[in-house]
Amino acid sequence: MPDMVGAAIAANRFGFGARPGELRAISRDPRNWVKAQFAAAAPLPAPVAALPPGEDDVLAFGRWLAARRMRNGGGDAMMRRAEREGVDDEDLRALSVEDDFIRTFRARGVAAIDARLMAAVLSETPARERAVHFWSNHFTVSALKPAAVALPPSFEREAIRPHVAGSFAAMLRASTQHPGMLVYLDNWLSIGPNAPAARMPRLRNRPNRPTGLNENLAREILELHTLGVGGGYAQADVQALAAILTGWTLERPPLAMIVGDQPGRRPASALFRFLSAAHEPGAHALLGRSYAQAGAAQGERALDDLAAHPATARFIATKLARHYIADDPPPAATARIAQAFARSNGDLRTTMEAVVECEETWAEPFQKFKRPEEYAISALRAANVRELPAGAGALAVGAMGQRIYAAPGPDGWSDRAEAWLSADLVWKRVEFAQTFAARLARADIDPAAIGEAALGPLLSDETRRAVVRAESPAQGLAILFAAPEFQRR
Amino acid sequence: MRFSRRTLLAVGGAALAVPALAYGQSAALRQKKLVVFILRGGMDGLAVVAPVGDPDYPRVRGRLATQSPLPLDAMFALHPRAPTLHALYGAGELLPIHACATGYRERSHFDAQNVLETGAAAPFARDSGWLNAALATLPRGAGGVALNAQAPLILRGDAPASTWSPSVLAAPNDDLMTRLMDLYDARDPALAEALRGAQSANAIAGDGAMSGGRGRGVEAAAALARVAGNFLTEPNGPVAAVIELGGWDTHANQAPEQGPLARALAALDASIAALRDALGPSWGETVVAIVTEFGRTAAPNGNGGTDHGAAAAAFLAGGATAGGRVLADWPGLSQRALHEGRDLRPTTDLRAVLKGVLSAHWRVSDRALATSVFPDSAGVAAIEGLVRT
Repeated sequence: MPDMVGAAIAANRFGFGARPGELRAISRDPRNWVKAQFAAAAPLPAPVAALPPGEDDVLAFGRWLAARRMRNGGGDAMMRRAEREGVDDEDLRALSVEDDFIRTFRARGVAAIDARLMAAVLSETPARERAVHFWSNHFTVSALKPAAVALPPSFEREAIRPHVAGSFAAMLRASTQHPGMLVYLDNWLSIGPNAPAARMPRLRNRPNRPTGLNENLAREILELHTLGVGGGYAQADVQALAAILTGWTLERPPLAMIVGDQPGRRPASALFRFLSAAHEPGAHALLGRSYAQAGAAQGERALDDLAAHPATARFIATKLARHYIADDPPPAATARIAQAFARSNGDLRTTMEAVVECEETWAEPFQKFKRPEEYAISALRAANVRELPAGAGALAVGAMGQRIYAAPGPDGWSDRAEAWLSADLVWKRVEFAQTFAARLARADIDPAAIGEAALGPLLSDETRRAVVRAESPAQGLAILFAAPEFQRR
Repeated sequence: MRFSRRTLLAVGGAALAVPALAYGQSAALRQKKLVVFILRGGMDGLAVVAPVGDPDYPRVRGRLATQSPLPLDAMFALHPRAPTLHALYGAGELLPIHACATGYRERSHFDAQNVLETGAAAPFARDSGWLNAALATLPRGAGGVALNAQAPLILRGDAPASTWSPSVLAAPNDDLMTRLMDLYDARDPALAEALRGAQSANAIAGDGAMSGGRGRGVEAAAALARVAGNFLTEPNGPVAAVIELGGWDTHANQAPEQGPLARALAALDASIAALRDALGPSWGETVVAIVTEFGRTAAPNGNGGTDHGAAAAAFLAGGATAGGRVLADWPGLSQRALHEGRDLRPTTDLRAVLKGVLSAHWRVSDRALATSVFPDSAGVAAIEGLVRT
C-alpha cells in the first residue's frame, strides 16, 4: 500500500523535497527509496562534471597571488624565481592586478555554485546529493579564507562525492590530502622544527616565513572531523598529529604554468605531495599509540586509527542524527547510528541505513528548519524548474544568510537552527518566497496542486485554504513556499 | 497538526529575537553605546590624517601629498572629504589616533582583518570576536547588532548578537503579510513570533533604510548608520553596533576628487553624520571606534596608489569621546624611521586604545581585557583619558 506520508517525509528529510510526481514513486517504499541511492554507484552530476578541473582553480589562485606579490613588495623575490625557473620576467609583469581578487574569482565561484544547486535541483538521487552537502559541510573548506577561495568546489567533487556511500576513513584521508583542506587549514605551511627544510637558509632568512609546526589542521581533524570536542585528546595529541602531518602539502605550480594560459588538466587531488624535507623525523605518540616514521604512511595510519576510534563513531552519529532527525536528537537514535558506524568500520552506506531505520526519523515531521540552500532547492524542485539564470541561485541563498561555499569557520554551518536563524532571516525567506513565486507564476499554474505534489498529506488544511483563497497564482505560490510545512522538514 | 513551539524549534533564544527588543540591561549601562566601524581594505592613514607638519611628508608622499587639507593641529590635517569628522574635532568629539596598528605585521587583508576582529595576537587563533567578549562581561542580556546578513567575526561569541541587513529582494507586500500572519498564528507560533519581530525591527530601522541601505556608496552607507542609530536608541535596544565599510584598498589612482579614497571617505563621513543624527541625545553617551586592518605604504606606488603597509590611523568619535586632539607618538617619515623602509612605523597598539575605551566606557575589568577580550595582551596597557566618564 502506498505510503504517502512516508514518501513526503523521505523526500524532505533525506532529499531536497519532491519534484512533481516524485512522491508517488517514493510512496511504494520510502525507506528503500533512500537506501537504494546509497547502494549503487552514482555518476558525477552533469553540471558538476562540466566545471574545470581542480588544478585550474589552483592555477587561478597562483596567478592572482603572483600578481599581488609583484605589486606588494614581493616583486624582487618573484623576479628571482622567474630567473631560477627560466620564465621571461615580461610575462610576469604582464599579470594584471586590475583583475583583482573578487573579479578573478567571482565568475569561477558563481559557476561552481550554480553547478552545485542545479545538481541538487535536477537530482534523481537527492538523498545521495544531500549526503554530499552534509559531508562537505562536515569537512568544511570555506572560500572565506582567501588562499582557499577557489578550492571548495574541487574539494567537494574529489574528496567528498566519491565516498558518501563508501568508507569514512577513505573520505577522511581524501579530505586531509586534498589541496583545499591543506590550504584552508594551513598544513601546507607546516614544517617540522627538526626537518631538513627548517634549516634551509632560504626559509630561515626570510622574515615571516613559517619555519615551524602549524597545528591548525591537526586540531580540527581531532575536534571537528573525527573525535569531537571532549573526545579524549590533549594538546600533546594535537602537536603529535601536527608533527605526523608535516610534509603533507601540494605541488606548487611551476611559474611557467602560472603565467601561461594553459588550463590545468588534473584534479586538484593529484597535486598532493609528501615532502619529506618538511617532515618532522621520528616516531610520534598519538592517543597513546606510537607511529613510526614511514613517510606519508605514518599519517595515513594515524588517520585510519582516528576514523576507527569509538569517540569518532559517537561524534559522527550525533552530527548525522542532528542533521536528519532533530536539532536535539534523541540519544537512543544517536546510539544506534554510532553502533552501525562502529560495527561496519565506518561504512557510510551501512551508517545511512541505520539513520533510515531510526523510527524517530519517521515519527514526527517538521522538526528541522531547512537551511537556506535546502529551502531554495526544495522550492525549485517543487516548481519543476530545470534551469536558472547564472548567479541567481547564489544571490538568493546568500540573501537568506548562508553564502554557498562560504561558511564562517571550519566547523561549517550549524545544524541547530538557533545558531543561525534570526528574525531578519525569516523575513528574508518570505522575501524569497514572494520573489520566486512572482517569477514563476503564470495564469495556468495551480499552486494548490504544486503544494499537493510537494508535500502530499503533509500539506495542512490551513495552508491549502490560504493557497486556494489567494488573490493570484503568484500570491498562492508565495504562501505555499512561505508556509510552515514548506520551511521545515 | 498544529506546530507547537517546543516540538518544532527552540526559537525563544537570542538568535531569533529582534535586535531592538532582545536585551534587558541595567539602567546605568543602557546609555553607554559603542559603535564599531570596520574599514575593510586598509585605510591610508597618511592620506586621511596627513602629517603635513612632518618635514619628510612632501618628499615621501610626492604626488599624493594633500592639496587642501582641513587643519587639526600643527602637525596633522584631515582629508578635505571628511567635513563632518572635522567639525566633530572642533567640537571636541573626535580623537584621531595615528601610527596605530594591531600586533599583526604582515600584509594579508584577511589575516589582518581576522586579528582586528578576534582581538587575538595571531590570525585565526579563535572563532569569536573581542566586541562580543566585551559584551559578555556586561550585565546579562547586553548585546550587539551587526548591520549585515551575517554577524561579522568581531560580534561572534556567547553574548547576544543580532543582525539586520537591507533586503536584496522586494519586501513582502502587505496583503501577503496579512495572509501569512494568519497562517502562522494558526499553525506555527514560532514563525509568527519571528516574522512579527522582523516587522518591528524593520519599522524601527525605518522605511528609508529599507531601500536606501542596499548597495554601495554614500547614501547606502549613511542609511545603514541611521538604522544602527535607530536600534541603539530603542528602549532595551542593543548597546553595541557594528558597521562594515569597504573600498579602502586603494592600490591605484587614489588621489583624485572622485577617486576611490575620496568615495570611501565620503561614505564614512556621511555615516558618522547620519549616526549622530539618529542617536540624538544618545550621541553624548556614545563612543564610535573607527578601525582598519592596516595602513598603507608611505610612498605612492607606480599607479598613483599605495600598497599594503603597517601602521594606520584610527578614530574615536562620539559625545563621550575626549577628543579635539590627535593622539600620536609620531615616529616620523624619514627612511630610517619607516617600518621595513616602506611603511609608517606602528607606535600605538590599537588594543591599548580599545582597552582604554572598554575600561572607561563599559567598566570592563583589566583581567577580562587581558584574557577573554584581547587574549595574551597583559603587556598592552590601556590608554587612559580617551573617554569622558
